[in-house]
Amino acid sequence: MNNKRMKMFEIIRGAAAILVALLVASILIFICSDKPFEALRYMLISPIFSNGSISMNSIYTILAAMTPIIFTGLAVCVMFSSNQFNMFGEGSVMLGGFIAALLGIYFSTGTYLDIIICVLGGAIVCGALMYIPAILKVKLGASEMVCSLMMNYIVMYVILHFLLNVFADGSKGTIQTYPFAATAHIPALVPGGSKLSWGFIVALIFTALVALFMYRTRWGYSIRMVGINQSFAKYSGMKVGGIVVLSQVIGGILAGMGGAIEVLGRFDTFLWRDLPGYGWTGITVAILAKNNPIFVPIAAFFIAYLNRGCTMMATYCDVPSEMADIIQAVVFLFFAAEQFLAKYRQKLVVAGAKEEIAQKNAAAEGGKA
Amino acid sequence: MSNNEYVVQMVGIAKVYPNGVAANQGVDFNVKKGEIHALMGENGAGKSTLMKMLFGMEQPTSGDIIVNGEKVNLTSPTVAISKGIGMVHQHFMLVPSLTVAENIVLGMEPKKGAFIDYKKAVEITEEYAKKYNLHVDANAKVIDIPVGMKQKVEILKALVRGAKILILDEPTAVLTTQETAELFKELVALKEQGYTIIFISHKLKEIKQITDRLTIMRAGKSMGIYETASITEQDISRLMVGRDVVLTVEKEKAQPTDVVLKVKDLEYTDSWNRKMLDKLSFAVRKGEILGIAGVEGNGQRELVEMLFNLNVPDAGSVTVNGTNIISMPQSKIRDLGVSLIPEDRMIYGIAASASIEENIMSDRYNKKKFNKGALFNMDAMHEESDQLIKDYLVRCKNRNQAVGMLSGGNIQKVVVAREFSADPVLIIADQPTRGIDVGATEFIRKKLVELSREGAAVLLVSADLNEVMELSDSLIVFYNGKIAAYFEDTSMLTDEIMGEYMLGLKKQTDEEIRRVCHE
Repeated sequence: MNNKRMKMFEIIRGAAAILVALLVASILIFICSDKPFEALRYMLISPIFSNGSISMNSIYTILAAMTPIIFTGLAVCVMFSSNQFNMFGEGSVMLGGFIAALLGIYFSTGTYLDIIICVLGGAIVCGALMYIPAILKVKLGASEMVCSLMMNYIVMYVILHFLLNVFADGSKGTIQTYPFAATAHIPALVPGGSKLSWGFIVALIFTALVALFMYRTRWGYSIRMVGINQSFAKYSGMKVGGIVVLSQVIGGILAGMGGAIEVLGRFDTFLWRDLPGYGWTGITVAILAKNNPIFVPIAAFFIAYLNRGCTMMATYCDVPSEMADIIQAVVFLFFAAEQFLAKYRQKLVVAGAKEEIAQKNAAAEGGKA
Repeated sequence: MSNNEYVVQMVGIAKVYPNGVAANQGVDFNVKKGEIHALMGENGAGKSTLMKMLFGMEQPTSGDIIVNGEKVNLTSPTVAISKGIGMVHQHFMLVPSLTVAENIVLGMEPKKGAFIDYKKAVEITEEYAKKYNLHVDANAKVIDIPVGMKQKVEILKALVRGAKILILDEPTAVLTTQETAELFKELVALKEQGYTIIFISHKLKEIKQITDRLTIMRAGKSMGIYETASITEQDISRLMVGRDVVLTVEKEKAQPTDVVLKVKDLEYTDSWNRKMLDKLSFAVRKGEILGIAGVEGNGQRELVEMLFNLNVPDAGSVTVNGTNIISMPQSKIRDLGVSLIPEDRMIYGIAASASIEENIMSDRYNKKKFNKGALFNMDAMHEESDQLIKDYLVRCKNRNQAVGMLSGGNIQKVVVAREFSADPVLIIADQPTRGIDVGATEFIRKKLVELSREGAAVLLVSADLNEVMELSDSLIVFYNGKIAAYFEDTSMLTDEIMGEYMLGLKKQTDEEIRRVCHE
């Protein structure tokens, strides 16, 4: 079959999904807004360009929002690459942040080493917890999806218990921990009070590292092969069970790291009282990026931009911010739906097979003559 | 086109599956009213595909289906049933926890108010059972009844829905001899009441016993329609398993030495409780090609699975150069120098969306040569894959092309390149040239001979008679999980002799067969 034709088809399919999503969003905006064109301008253009000039602060906000979802996107990429639909990225973010905050409060060394200790601590605990769904899957055949999904809530309520009853700062009106040491706080990347920290750079570095891991090392290679065709991996001599565990542990480490960096970079205390949602967004990011780490920052940018646009539209116009979720859902739907445009794909396949048969017949006749 | 003599006509049917497999290529098929018509052919010949289209489960890519003189568009089984076509699948489609009567009225339940009228369901069941002499226990749960009765339930299900044309997909595959005899009586009775029966099978004796006419299929094409009475078993076997284009391969006489692969008393019963391997013993020596011929489904697949630990036998041993390999991880089996060309290259042979290079590396990516510390040594990998693409004449754009985008022949060349370049002491080649073009076929066969002459032991499993007879130095024939014959020298063999052993018309003595153990 023609390789180029199929690749073009994939690209067109991706572009079509985004276009359809925006089209649906526009229709909704036209229905619910009195000033639809102004609303569209706020959603599509204002995040980077407003009042006749490029809006740096808004851009920093977008980049800051990208940081945690790059990490969760990478985590999901690694796990989905081995065909493991693990959902514990969400709980890992919260737990990673919580562990990092505790380390920063109670085990501060008073130097910037704190940051490394806190982030690694959060990452390692989350990686270790991933053994639970992974081992249950490999040894007992339990669905990693159900198991990891439920773990999110277990972890959340355990954290809430400790937050409320053990680590709460009684002097504050809201429920939060004591502030962590100043040396555990990840410094801002640009001056001027934006929430953009050096964590963003770390996220980009990890994008490169994960890409390298997935495409240039024996572990990443075997994770991908197990994901594409487990029977093939087994027949080739790979230790499928071990690889399935490995991919999920790495996913936990990455998501935990994302949570730690988010808490240490954005706040000075731990105050999440619900699952923060970055894990779920990470799934969208990974699907948009087609499980390729290199595309994760681009997908994360798309989502963060869209979120920012919708926030602005909701703030300055009469459109509710839930619009972002609807658009994300539509994009997600079109990417996930394997059968989308499947009819045309089938036509390409049939045409390819016919060509092949014709060639074969021609070759056979040529052979006889 | 229509002809009143025929209840079903299928004209120029072609079917291409979404994965690109052309399962039917211009098949013509017809059935007369009130006959038992056999559809014969080996597994993979396209019979099931053809019948699925007649039952509306699949739609033809091109071609016409004419039922009772009217051109029809069978978009679903529901439409097919409304045209009077019913199908009994090989794997029964019954709800085990419901009773026989409930299964029979499923989806068309007699109602009493909002509830199912169970009494009526039992009445319907018993009425039909009596009328067609198909005895079933209407109140028994399907899970509790024997296989033979399940089949009757399936037939009744079709009849209750008004089927006049019954398609039976290998109905005897799961039945005992007595059950088969009973089924045949019932089928003949149905025929006498004016029903038309299409009977899918590859068992010669059964076909001769009860069918009026037969259609033989081979490799997606029809080999013709014949009167059962006027065709001999030998002719049927020749048409079913006969040779296509004859390709000859030059080879010197084998000089076999030590035994490499030794299979002893291997036994395996599958989950359908069928004995697939029955005290199987044979040996393959260094420097020879031992062929396994046989109609598919006689234990070849199960054997190959055992040889690579893709399945575990109930009893017996498999040794490679004296090392027992049962339950050994595949990486260790490969370390012993065993290579396998799997029967289904899309399942085991390749990762379709990965690149050619990644597919070539799958058994050796861990080797020192291809790693520099934690990272891959990409230069070494590129060099290896480019060399193999060149040596094995893989037609592709470059090593980064996805393997799934190549043609079948080139995909197989990638598999072969990997397996043959691993310095194997034993090569298991399971259907190595199935469904690939002439050029690739010839290339792979030549390589196989070359490697055996360089000292590898080769076990060749093939349903392609031409291949197995042409390539093998000596040959065994599988029938019903046992070895039916062993031929030390293949040069004097003919298709006719092979066909008789393959279809179970003949069997050698145990002494003759035991020679293949080389003890």
